[in-house]
Amino acid sequence: MSIESIDGCIGCGICVKTCPTDVIRMDPVTNKAIIKYPADCQICHLCRMYCPVDAITISPEKSIPVIVSWG
Amino acid sequence: MSRRKFMGLAGGALGMAAIASMGVAGWAANKLEIDPEALEYLENETDVLIIGGGMAGLFAAVKAHDAGAKTLMVSKGRLGSSGETPFAKGIFAYDPSTTEMSLDEFTDGVSRSAIGTNNPIYTRQMAEHSLDRVNELREWGFFDSALYNKSFSKPIEERNIDLLERIVITNLIKENGKICGAAGFSLDEEKVYIFKAKSVVLCTGAGGFKPNGFPICDLTHDGTIMAYNIGAKVTGKEWNDGHPGQATNSAACFDGWHGMFERVPSVESVGIRHDLGVDLNYMAYTNGNPVQMGPPGASESKKVVGGPYVPAEFSQRGPDKHDDGPKDGPKDGKHPRGGKPGEGGKDGEAGSPPGMGGVSVGGSSAGMAIHKSEGLVPINDKCESTIPGLFAAGDALGSYMAGAIYTQIGSSLAGSAVQGGIAGKAAAEYSADKKIPNISKTKIKEIKEEMLAPLHRTEGYSPAWVTQTLQGIMIPNFIIYIKKEGLLKAALAYIEELRDHHIPMLKAADLHELRLAHETVNMITTAEMKLKASILRTESRCSHYRLDYPETDKENWQAWINIFKGEDGRMKFEKQAFDSWPASGKPLEYI
Repeated sequence: MSIESIDGCIGCGICVKTCPTDVIRMDPVTNKAIIKYPADCQICHLCRMYCPVDAITISPEKSIPVIVSWG
Repeated sequence: MSRRKFMGLAGGALGMAAIASMGVAGWAANKLEIDPEALEYLENETDVLIIGGGMAGLFAAVKAHDAGAKTLMVSKGRLGSSGETPFAKGIFAYDPSTTEMSLDEFTDGVSRSAIGTNNPIYTRQMAEHSLDRVNELREWGFFDSALYNKSFSKPIEERNIDLLERIVITNLIKENGKICGAAGFSLDEEKVYIFKAKSVVLCTGAGGFKPNGFPICDLTHDGTIMAYNIGAKVTGKEWNDGHPGQATNSAACFDGWHGMFERVPSVESVGIRHDLGVDLNYMAYTNGNPVQMGPPGASESKKVVGGPYVPAEFSQRGPDKHDDGPKDGPKDGKHPRGGKPGEGGKDGEAGSPPGMGGVSVGGSSAGMAIHKSEGLVPINDKCESTIPGLFAAGDALGSYMAGAIYTQIGSSLAGSAVQGGIAGKAAAEYSADKKIPNISKTKIKEIKEEMLAPLHRTEGYSPAWVTQTLQGIMIPNFIIYIKKEGLLKAALAYIEELRDHHIPMLKAADLHELRLAHETVNMITTAEMKLKASILRTESRCSHYRLDYPETDKENWQAWINIFKGEDGRMKFEKQAFDSWPASGKPLEYI
């Protein structure tokens, strides 16, 4: 499912700002990044590339059905 | 359902049935997670308001500031990290010291490839200013990193330009016939913003239908539709961008582009082409799957008869072979479909485009047209729209810089930089003798109610479900790419249903879903524009292909189609002759 896990987050919040589709938010209790809206992930990897501690793992599979022009 | 089907559903009835069976939520109660009554309300004032934080927005802000205007930049995402800019890795520079082709020859070449659809003034302007913008980017460190936030932040911070990120602008505000600001809400804080501005520069990019395989799921033609809603003329909705995707994990942009997003940007030189039309879509329509891409001889696909016309000079098949096989084999041995979203690419380097060496699917960039062929209609070469004080630049401006076909690698990013600079300076000059406008309380109340309406609904349709329904209607190859009147009208009936009976019932439980609701509305309006413009254009040319009108009609269609909202609120259309500026001619209304 798109962004698969965030492991080792230091709570800097850069991934939240960086995600073009607003998939990641900070958990108000733990102050760590969480995958809040996985269905909106466009699997572009910007969050992973900007993460300063390489905490984000992403899979190529979309979590909702994908519509293409021919199949 | 097989895994293959799950990962890549073809659109249309099958796709819709499959989605329904998988239980994507449609109508439901709205379980609010925020209190819409408790939203804080803030007002800001500026001379020039820049909306959008990509390449066009960067230069618009810098040049407006340098021309003496108080400048405020607002972006739905983060500076240099939203829209298409982060993924564009080639920027064109016309360098007279190393190029034998003159500016006039370059412009003429683009016009021949674009079959007259380009605006030569914007084509030439892009080339003429490109090297200056590239040199500024080099000074800021743009070519030193694959990630652009740091280099984009440098000139903004040096100039102390105000920057607000993750603010979703939903409305442009016009009073007394002129632009007077914009309104939106924060994704992170429960705040509504009203921006009073002497002028506004839309750098909001273009958009699509949140397609799979192209990193434009945050681009939903927001700027274009906001401008249309206050009376601006917009154009270019019949054109397409023909990027394919890969059959395996079709939605995975990063994987589809084979790591290209991690590459540092490079400078591209002159090389005029005629790419990214709907040739591959025609091949798939005619032959079915699998559709494979690659150099000549690499594919065992059957020969294709007919299909989109390519000028002989730019044909990969040579002259007079209009009906003789697929056109995917480029004459220089390189793949014609470029390399990276919007900017083409270099084969042999990390980051081959989707479809290379594998099975392709279509619709990767569905809902998007060729860069700069859609957006606000300019009234002059200063990126000024038909509304006083409202400017647009880059993919938000229908400048027809490249025409309705992809004509020069890297020109998309260069054009955004050049037009951003021109629009920013022009907006500053426009603002110089103006006062900060007043916005009436009635207008503000009306906008807030419209903006927050999905939060106030106790039940309704989820934006995600309506978006998927729209995708199932619009993305099929036989609707948006290989067009014919009957199916365009059939799709229009569905889209009008979404417009009339689903937009008024969109719900949102939080600020993320409120954003999705507004994006969904913008996509529905765009779909209506695309279908109606496609029905009107009874010919085939560049990236618009009508199966029932396969020939180019140089007698009746040497014209762009402008779209605007009539006084009765209905969508109206008019022809604007190629190589001319907007005239107030009698509109051609689609019935």
